[in-house]
Amino acid sequence: MTKKLITALCLPLSIIIALYGNVRGQDAQALVEAAVKYYRGEASVSTVEMTIHRPDWERVMTIKAWTKGEQDSLFRIIAPPKDHGNGTLKKGREMWMYNPKINRVIKLPPSMMSQAWMGSDFSNNDLSKTDSLIKDYCHTITGTETHDGKNVYIIKSIPKLEAPVVWGMQKLKIREDHILLSQAFFDEDLKLVKAMTSQQIQMLGGKLFPRVWKMQKADAKDEYTELSYKELTFEQDLPDRLFTLSSLRSPRR
Amino acid sequence: MSIDVKMAWRNIWRNPRRTILTISAVAFASLLLVFMLSFQFGSYEAMINSSVKIHTGHLQVQAKGYQDKRSMRLVVPDPVAVGGILDKTEGVEAYAFRANAFSLASSKERTYGIIVTGIDPVREAKVSTLEKMIRQGSFLSEGDIDQALVGKLLAENLQVGVGDELTVLGQGHDGSIAATVFKIKGIYSSGIDEFDRFSIHVPLDNFQDVYAMRGAVHEVVAVGKSLKGVANIKKAAQAGIEKIESKHGLVALDWEELMPGLLQAIEMDLVGGLIMYFVLILVVAFSILNTFLMAIFERTREFGVLMAIGTTPGRLTKLLLIESMSITMVGLVAGIIVGSLITWYFQVHGIDISGTSELLAQYGISGRMYPRLSLLSVSIGPAAVLLITFLAALYPALKVWALRPVEAMTAV
Repeated sequence: MTKKLITALCLPLSIIIALYGNVRGQDAQALVEAAVKYYRGEASVSTVEMTIHRPDWERVMTIKAWTKGEQDSLFRIIAPPKDHGNGTLKKGREMWMYNPKINRVIKLPPSMMSQAWMGSDFSNNDLSKTDSLIKDYCHTITGTETHDGKNVYIIKSIPKLEAPVVWGMQKLKIREDHILLSQAFFDEDLKLVKAMTSQQIQMLGGKLFPRVWKMQKADAKDEYTELSYKELTFEQDLPDRLFTLSSLRSPRR
Repeated sequence: MSIDVKMAWRNIWRNPRRTILTISAVAFASLLLVFMLSFQFGSYEAMINSSVKIHTGHLQVQAKGYQDKRSMRLVVPDPVAVGGILDKTEGVEAYAFRANAFSLASSKERTYGIIVTGIDPVREAKVSTLEKMIRQGSFLSEGDIDQALVGKLLAENLQVGVGDELTVLGQGHDGSIAATVFKIKGIYSSGIDEFDRFSIHVPLDNFQDVYAMRGAVHEVVAVGKSLKGVANIKKAAQAGIEKIESKHGLVALDWEELMPGLLQAIEMDLVGGLIMYFVLILVVAFSILNTFLMAIFERTREFGVLMAIGTTPGRLTKLLLIESMSITMVGLVAGIIVGSLITWYFQVHGIDISGTSELLAQYGISGRMYPRLSLLSVSIGPAAVLLITFLAALYPALKVWALRPVEAMTAV
């Protein structure tokens, strides 16, 4: 009698637990998608100051960036004057670089994707695989904390089997209003390689948005790259012709 | 000549055929050792010299840490000052400046990540064999600006030939974007795949301009007149560069530090050779041992008589050792003389090794190999033979101590 009762009780309970776990998994996935959507918007136009800091030198560049959806981006350097007009176009998972001095476009070969972008701590992959986080990883919420009185979800992202990714694991911190607070990258041995943190959350482009994004290598304390938004507007849409090779070549923008 | 030596010498020639056979075994072993060691040392020197002449040089002055990190920022800011030190250093044959940058090289069709090296064409021709490696087109000349030499495999990968354009995109010393277009003037092939697949060479002046080097370079490459002099050059260079002001500090690195793989290859080959030589010497030692054991059995009665008339066992041992050492010495001298002559012949005329050139091309050796006679290569093998045969002869020589005169005299 008691035995039957226990089974009767346990069965629905286990189903509930299973469902709950699933729901949490879906939660995590939705949360990550929402966060990516939040910081990329439908489309955006921004001006960013990129500071590359090294122990013995520092370099500041001003970059104008256009993004559309999860895949397409166009970057153009506007300062310092020496590098003015250099551009990077990212479409899908392919990247091209343009230099006005020689007036050529170079397509980045796959073997170069893990190299640093413009000498920064961001790799070409970081730029080109923006949608990878959503498509190639399984997300689970592993904990919560609070930030500015808001709930923050700590998410562990493990790459799916056979997903073409370079990281062994990522750890994300996403605030309940979908602001990405940090993204840490781990190698296959689950050792921290580098981490990006966002700071100075304020009103930008009509919504709360971190003004400063800082990428830092794990083994080098005095080396980092900081992106600081000078201007940011979110658009409903941007014309497709903006994200083409001929647009990359034309320095008028 | 003492009576013992005289007796020993006569004893040796009581069985001339056996003695001559033993002598020839010793002679042949030492001949082989002299030749093989000279050949090995000669090939090592050739390996080192041709390896360093492809690119590395005997010695390089770099910023501290550049060898490992290859960072654009780690430069030799004032290469002319380093050159001044090398000018004053004895034994330096030539030196050249180089600057390197990791960049993207792109033809119309394809793009690859490569190392762009800026060179001074006149100086470079004296420190490396790059000029001789040109297979198509021609070497850079003074005054060239936007011309480049491209590795053969890279040219194949990029599908370009002499006269085609190559776009290069990288990052300058100040972090700015470096981009330029080169016209391919020549295509080189060193036989070292990595070098031919991932490098291009361009004029240093243009490199410094494009990559915003402000007169700095990454390497000051020097070659010495001889391999032996490298240690001295290093010492002098190290002392000199300490006085030069540089943000990161400068170091002088010799070829062993620049190419640790080469030294390991040499060490491995040497160990393999040594094992073979040891076996060879052991065979000779057994032949000596055999000769003398035979002699003792044969001459038991003789020893019995000698002991009966008052010869001490100590004197007999001495006699036997003089006999064995005489045989060894005659063999060694003959072996060294003939071995040296043969080695000397090949040292002058070279040995054709074209059959194995594929393997050796990795070390930049091709065509003929030259053994190299030296005091070490002539003496070390025979010395080992002497030592081991002496130990082998000791056993039969000490066996006479066990003899009893009366029994010995009646032995068969």
